[in-house]
Amino acid sequence: MTNNKTINLEIDGRFFQADEGMTILEVARREGIEIPTLCQHDALEPVGACRLCLVEITHPNWKGWKGLVTSCLYPIEEGLQVTTNNPEIHTARKTLLDLLLARCPEATYIQKCAAEYGITATSFKKREEETTCILCGLCVRVCAAKGCNAIGATGRGITKGIAVPFRQPPPDCIGCASCAHICPTDTIKYTDTEDLRKIWGHKFKMVKCVSCGRPVMPEKQLEFEAAKAGLDAKYLTTCPQCSQDQTLATVQSSFQSKTVPGGSLEVAR
Amino acid sequence: MEKTLVITPSRCTACKTCELACSFKHVRNGALGLSRIRAFMRGEGKNVILTCFQCDEAACVKVCPVTALTRSESTGAIEVDEGRCIGCGLCSVACPFGHMNHDSAMRIAVKCDLCKGEPACATFCPTRTLEYK
Repeated sequence: MTNNKTINLEIDGRFFQADEGMTILEVARREGIEIPTLCQHDALEPVGACRLCLVEITHPNWKGWKGLVTSCLYPIEEGLQVTTNNPEIHTARKTLLDLLLARCPEATYIQKCAAEYGITATSFKKREEETTCILCGLCVRVCAAKGCNAIGATGRGITKGIAVPFRQPPPDCIGCASCAHICPTDTIKYTDTEDLRKIWGHKFKMVKCVSCGRPVMPEKQLEFEAAKAGLDAKYLTTCPQCSQDQTLATVQSSFQSKTVPGGSLEVAR
Repeated sequence: MEKTLVITPSRCTACKTCELACSFKHVRNGALGLSRIRAFMRGEGKNVILTCFQCDEAACVKVCPVTALTRSESTGAIEVDEGRCIGCGLCSVACPFGHMNHDSAMRIAVKCDLCKGEPACATFCPTRTLEYK
């Protein structure tokens, strides 16, 4: 039972009720109002890094004051009036994407997002040092959510980057590659071979599928996941395809032994 | 009592209508590879239908690092919260039956959610192999 207070607010001229503690973005998404985001993920803590989710807020008591806030972080309050799109917000978002494109001109995902706002080439000076990292921090947060905290952000301002402690292979990394999977611009790379997964300077030995011998996951990850979930490690040593093949074989053999006792189906019929 | 998807393999002709119905219900372009149900042609009376068993103590739910897999109170099916899923693929490996599927384009796990109580596979099955009762 939740004792949350109900809050009344207005988004784009429509009135909504929501529980105290929700953010503007959560209410808007629930009501099907679209607000663009880059760094937001439902499973991860919001950080307001990309600032694309900017919305304009005002309040009858604020004497006409209004301002742009990141909707992913701003908690709703009684009587709040939110505008999710107007020319000012559009310009702000456009500038943000223009800046991102100046930072990462080669990132196809950013090119696609910018094109939606009519930007094909950045109007700013392109960054000299090539990168495709937009500093959304999804990789850092997903690593924390997994319980590893192996990577982090370093530096401030123009030197900010995603890195591993002391530029050495991080001791807490389990090689799960969740950071690479969640990266919207595919900046984080890893390579899998039959025996090894290379990521963040590590070389992880892979566990082979007990049935077909294809690599399943790094040994270190297997230990970590089995302990965390309280599962027997044997649950994690068969690849999905072999698991399905085994289920199929089991079901088929049950047909022969039970439903058709006399042998083939033609005989039974 | 909760309804379940009842499979009677002896009636199955492996026509794969269930796969089609599933794909068109769930997948953006009806891609068959992402169907949550599989029909295997193994000869008359021996055809096999495989789909999620909605295990009571599901390994996929246990391993999910972000609790994106939860059991629906209305249908009893384990559902993927597509917003929460980080696409790590751990549930695919953990499922002892190989019933988890992975959408590599969207980077999310996909599985049978009994269509929130109206399974399209059962609706379209021409031989009543699949029944929701």
